[in-house]
Amino acid sequence: MRCESYAIIPEKAPLIAQHIEYNTIMCLTPEQQSLLENPHTSKIFLHGLAGTGKTTAGVKWLKKLLKSGIPAHQIMVFVPQRALSLPYQAFMRDDLFQVHSLINTMTLGSLARRTIDLFWPMISPDTGVSLPNQPPHFLTLETAQYYMAHIVRPLMDEEGFFDNLTINRNRIYSQILDNLNKSALVGFSHQEIGDRLKTAWIGDIAQINVYDDVQACANRFRVFCLEHNLLDFSLQVEIFLRLLWPSPLCRDHLTRSYRHLIVDNVEEDTPVTHDILSEWLPEFDSALIIFDNEAGYRYFLGADVQSAFSLSGQCDTVVEFTMNLVNAPGIIQIKSGVRHAIAQLEGKPQENKPDLHLLQSSLVIPQETNKYFPDMIRWVANQINILVKDGVSPGEIVVLAPFMPDVLRFGIANQLDEFGIPHFSHRPSRALRDEPATKAMLTLASTAFSAWKMLPKRINIAFALMQVIDGLDLVRAQLLTAYVYNENTEGFPLQPFDAAPIDIRDRITYRVGARYDLLQNWLKTSHISESNTLDFFLSRMFGEVLSQPGFGFHNDLNSANTIANLIESIQKFRWAVGDQIPNETFSIGKEYIQMVQDGVIAAQYVRTSEELSNDAVFLSPAYTFLISNHPVDVQFWLDVGSPSWYQRLEQPLTHPYVLSRHWKYGDVWDAEKELYAAQETLRRLSIGLLNRCRNKVYLGMSELDVRGYDNRGLLVRIFQHILQRAQQQVQND
Amino acid sequence: MIEGYNKLRPSQELILGYQNGKMGISAVPGSGKTWTLSYLAGKLIQSGVINPDQEILIVTLVNAAVDNFSARISSQLQVENLLPGYGYRVRTLHGLANDIVHERPDLAGLTNQFQIIDDVESKRIKQDAAQDWLAAHQDFFEPYLMVEDHQKKNVFENKNNLPLMIESMATAFIRLAKDRRLMPDSIRSIQSKLQIPLPLVEMGTEIYQSYQEALNYRGGVDFDDLIRLALKCLRSDPSLVNLLRERWPYILEDEAQDSSHLQQEILSLLAGENGNWVRVGDPNQAIYESFTTASPRYLLDFLKQPEVEGRTLPESGRSTLSIIDLANELINWTQNHHPKSFARSALTPPLIQPTPPNDPQPNPADCPSCIRFVERAMTPEQEVHFVLNEVENFLLEHPDKTLAILSPRNSRGFKFVDGLKRRKIPYVDSLLQSTNATRLSTGAIANILNYLTDPKSSRKLSAAYRVWRRSEREDQEKWAFHKTISDLIRKCERVEDYLWPTIQRDWLESLETDHFEPVVFEELVAFREVVQSWHNTIFLPIDQLLLTISQNLFLDPAELALAHKLSSMMRQYSNAHPDWRLPEFTEELKNIAKNQRKYLGFSQDDTAFDPDRYPGQVIVATMHKAKGLEWDAVFLTSLNNYNFPSGHEYDQYQPEKWYIKDHLNMEAECISQLSTLIEDHPIDWYQPGKASIEGRQEFIRERLRLFYVGITRARNWLTATWNTGRGLNKNVPALPFLELLNYLENKA
Repeated sequence: MRCESYAIIPEKAPLIAQHIEYNTIMCLTPEQQSLLENPHTSKIFLHGLAGTGKTTAGVKWLKKLLKSGIPAHQIMVFVPQRALSLPYQAFMRDDLFQVHSLINTMTLGSLARRTIDLFWPMISPDTGVSLPNQPPHFLTLETAQYYMAHIVRPLMDEEGFFDNLTINRNRIYSQILDNLNKSALVGFSHQEIGDRLKTAWIGDIAQINVYDDVQACANRFRVFCLEHNLLDFSLQVEIFLRLLWPSPLCRDHLTRSYRHLIVDNVEEDTPVTHDILSEWLPEFDSALIIFDNEAGYRYFLGADVQSAFSLSGQCDTVVEFTMNLVNAPGIIQIKSGVRHAIAQLEGKPQENKPDLHLLQSSLVIPQETNKYFPDMIRWVANQINILVKDGVSPGEIVVLAPFMPDVLRFGIANQLDEFGIPHFSHRPSRALRDEPATKAMLTLASTAFSAWKMLPKRINIAFALMQVIDGLDLVRAQLLTAYVYNENTEGFPLQPFDAAPIDIRDRITYRVGARYDLLQNWLKTSHISESNTLDFFLSRMFGEVLSQPGFGFHNDLNSANTIANLIESIQKFRWAVGDQIPNETFSIGKEYIQMVQDGVIAAQYVRTSEELSNDAVFLSPAYTFLISNHPVDVQFWLDVGSPSWYQRLEQPLTHPYVLSRHWKYGDVWDAEKELYAAQETLRRLSIGLLNRCRNKVYLGMSELDVRGYDNRGLLVRIFQHILQRAQQQVQND
Repeated sequence: MIEGYNKLRPSQELILGYQNGKMGISAVPGSGKTWTLSYLAGKLIQSGVINPDQEILIVTLVNAAVDNFSARISSQLQVENLLPGYGYRVRTLHGLANDIVHERPDLAGLTNQFQIIDDVESKRIKQDAAQDWLAAHQDFFEPYLMVEDHQKKNVFENKNNLPLMIESMATAFIRLAKDRRLMPDSIRSIQSKLQIPLPLVEMGTEIYQSYQEALNYRGGVDFDDLIRLALKCLRSDPSLVNLLRERWPYILEDEAQDSSHLQQEILSLLAGENGNWVRVGDPNQAIYESFTTASPRYLLDFLKQPEVEGRTLPESGRSTLSIIDLANELINWTQNHHPKSFARSALTPPLIQPTPPNDPQPNPADCPSCIRFVERAMTPEQEVHFVLNEVENFLLEHPDKTLAILSPRNSRGFKFVDGLKRRKIPYVDSLLQSTNATRLSTGAIANILNYLTDPKSSRKLSAAYRVWRRSEREDQEKWAFHKTISDLIRKCERVEDYLWPTIQRDWLESLETDHFEPVVFEELVAFREVVQSWHNTIFLPIDQLLLTISQNLFLDPAELALAHKLSSMMRQYSNAHPDWRLPEFTEELKNIAKNQRKYLGFSQDDTAFDPDRYPGQVIVATMHKAKGLEWDAVFLTSLNNYNFPSGHEYDQYQPEKWYIKDHLNMEAECISQLSTLIEDHPIDWYQPGKASIEGRQEFIRERLRLFYVGITRARNWLTATWNTGRGLNKNVPALPFLELLNYLENKA
């Protein structure tokens, strides 16, 4: 294969990017080649903008290590979140290199958990847990949230905690957990959380006591965890840092196990991770640390760009990649415009000579103002249709919004369906209580476990039966439940099919009736002993009945996946909660269902990245797309008037800046800092997105947002500024 | 040069000469204050006094005015080759508060994606809280009641009696408390220090507490909170104030007579001591439908400040000279001859002046005989009959003119609507309720959901079919065809055999093919496919279900936008009420469709009602809702002493309930107790009944202004009527009505 070029030629840039598949022959840039010429024992700090081929070089570096005979198990690929290791895993899955062992992909969380698991007998007496002879229970995000709710709810109801806030309770739980995690990841005591937040507070003095409440809840949660051998993420990290990392035994184990290090997206990781890497670096035989300039998108999760960059000081070689392999010249113009506009807003004007013609070659805005939200959706779908008709592959189009609420996602998806354009969305799954298959499963379980006294409404039974019985439509499902379901009974509420009068049975059809009877009989007879846990029950119901021919989930892989997630979520809940709240009347299954209904447990999961390879338009929240590191030809930015593009997340109980290492104790967080942070967020986000765009950006906007409010946030003003400047330049020229 | 600039009146020229500082403008009805203010905004932008990152902030009262302002400024800028849509921001106070809170939601104790609980949900919560409170305090009102035992059931259980009164008291109490930025806890804390009990405050605080807890549970704020919290943010963070002052160096405020204490505070903080703030209003048009903290005195006080340049816009080209004369006479009589001295301040100069010669907005040719004050006594039914006869005759003679029937209350307006319906006279009642367009669109979705809650009903399926084909209702031929189909569907005994046929049983096959054209079958098959798709989406969350259905129903952008807004609202409801299922959501939509809940949609009438869009149709509205609008002919109705009392012994007052002792106005008493608590003024301590008397006085004043607003809506023709009411004590004509009648007769 002849290597054509890697220079920035708009028409060719997409071709080049398509070649950046990790297992095929491809061209390397001189920068990549030069990097790979370093000896495999080097310690290299590689930085550069997104789209300069850093991860590609990382994968090639891995290949080089393996080729030099280093066993795969000695190589550790360290990333801030597991999804970022996918390019390395994809490479390893390829059989070309006949690698018979696996590399270790690690995050701080997995490192902490693995080592705690391994060394628990040794460290448990010092951890502070009440039962050091018992194994620990590792909490997931949702089980931690469950326990937090368990602790905080009575404090709110009985002691007036958080009275001054208007905020959904589930957000209170998650923000306190977030604070605990930040304290662990930034490296300060969890007992300082309240004080740090209080000293930065500029607002109403009456509201300041919410931070005392935060502190009290965090303390109580920590005590509760220690009493019950529960390790939430923050405790896992703290134990690792306090007891394992300093332990010679543990350190020796780690340094002997892993000899070669590749760190990707180090700028998205947290200060304590950087501390560990900094101490660990001298022990490795080789290291490649990859840093994305102008990134740090996970700052709200504690990512620290400065501590990440400080690792460069410990490497033998610092390399910068500068060759942009992605952007067409028009996109480069937009980037420059964004930088200039934000600098202008910050009062630091820069020299900039925008080229209107070039700008317009890559920036598309609606010809006419879209007044309403659906107008914007229609415009976006129409533009995508035109692009696809013009030969752009749907897989090269991404639709981005700060969040992708269901109304927006669903609206676009419907319109794309009308055009027959394939699409998929990379968003967390629906919350459990919104997922039809989950609802059906839990509804049926509630009838079987009638002792819980949570009998569903008739309409829910009709919907559940309609889903799970093949051939049962909505009309017949309603007829059926009208006769066979009794929601006011103490006992088992479902009657056999012959409880319905003969003419009704006739209408429902006997074929469907036979299926119903099978299910009814199974539900009535196949449970109920104390040992029959909800997850086990659902698993059996799915396996023995609902996945069989004649039932709705037969050959339905999507529902099977959803149900597998549900079962896993219940299992984890049972493991974590099982023995911790001993009470005779307490039923884990019932508790689980109640928590799902309250939204405390959402079990939202992100679908696997396999779908990324689909040739379909990708609908995604902007940050999810950024982290996926996947350049495309065309990006649609939706709802650009919305302040969600730059607003600080997780307010008001936590604070990424105040709880960071760079916050000066005693400073107050005021509107000026807020504005600066917003501008910084926008700069980072928009440049990050543009770095992942080859040819065109379409700005979707409407005068009014979905609720009818005027929609004119900072981002739209920045683009206004860019266009005005370019027009002025034309006039000046 | 901006269009029309060379034809400015001297009063407008003075105002448009404004460059900076504070200016207060008293404007008369029809003097073009919106035009002048938008003109001023355009002029300031054009003059280059604001930077690219700055905006002129225009604050107005209602959403309808926002569009109006934006459109005017935008077209003005386009004429000047400037980019429309930038350099200014038009906001209602709520919109502005929303912007401010979004700058620093944490200071308001909110998440960045906080919900705004709309009036519909807010009212529901208050209703529930009031009902729960009443259930737990059955004896509380005993000392206030003046009823026989047999009437008690009616008083306690009829939702229009005590439950509604408590809800109104609570609404007023909560509004005042929020206006004074008091939360339930702080009220309790002040109260605990007092020796004397204030029972109505206790009641109000308890309901307020439940209400606030319900909002917190939903993670949302109501509109009053939004304003309170915006001020809280501004007060907390001086750098936020600086930042916003920098962003909005000029503030232009319309309808300033309706400014509230909080609005005044927010805008004065944003303007700053030496800032640029122009306030326009007409104190004579300060009218309110329910308890409000707004008051014209804020504008009047502003006008008195030494650093404020005072201006007037006294000329109006809207009405004939005779109508202007009549309106001025009402001001004169009120100021000089009203029998009650407390009422004389209700209306103040400037008097309305006609426009000068060659003005671009000349007054209509005078027509003294076009004004009729009908003296004869009529029952309410006779009044409706009389007015509709007059209306019918007028429309026959003037089919191209606009016309309004204005009444003091919504319920009275509906009586006219019923009569218009019966007589098949075209009418528009959008101002009385959710607009027709909004109700029809919502009703369409509600009909489909109603079917889906009972999918075996052929009657509901048949209704769903008609909804599906609603866009062809105007085409008689097509609609006749759809009616045939709809009748056929209604006769289908087993809906499942139509929608989900089996090999053995297919309703379509059972239809006798000889009787029907193939097109009938095609239509039935097409509808079946649509309904099947609805059935298949029944499991979706409610917002997605609504969107799916709306895609089959709507093409119009405003209707689609409404569907999105409803979806978003239903999602909110679903989060707040996890136990809600399809029947509950359907009920909610039906309420909007049936007008039990006012809902703001996106139709033209929602965003900017323009009477001139409806020549030859009768617009029915309350006098309150008519503010800012004008018609060729206006019928002012129900001008009796019940709706417009004057302080006579025999007058009755709407806020005083028949079942409450001593003519107490409980809403006023409740507010008064709270004010006493807040002010903590030992000399002016709460005295039972005093607030009711003051309430009467304020009601009398407000009604004089309402009468004035009613008169000044008319361009050419004005007819005024009254009725004797239905009570045992017959009503008499309102005193100002009689005075103006005398005036007209003397003049003649």
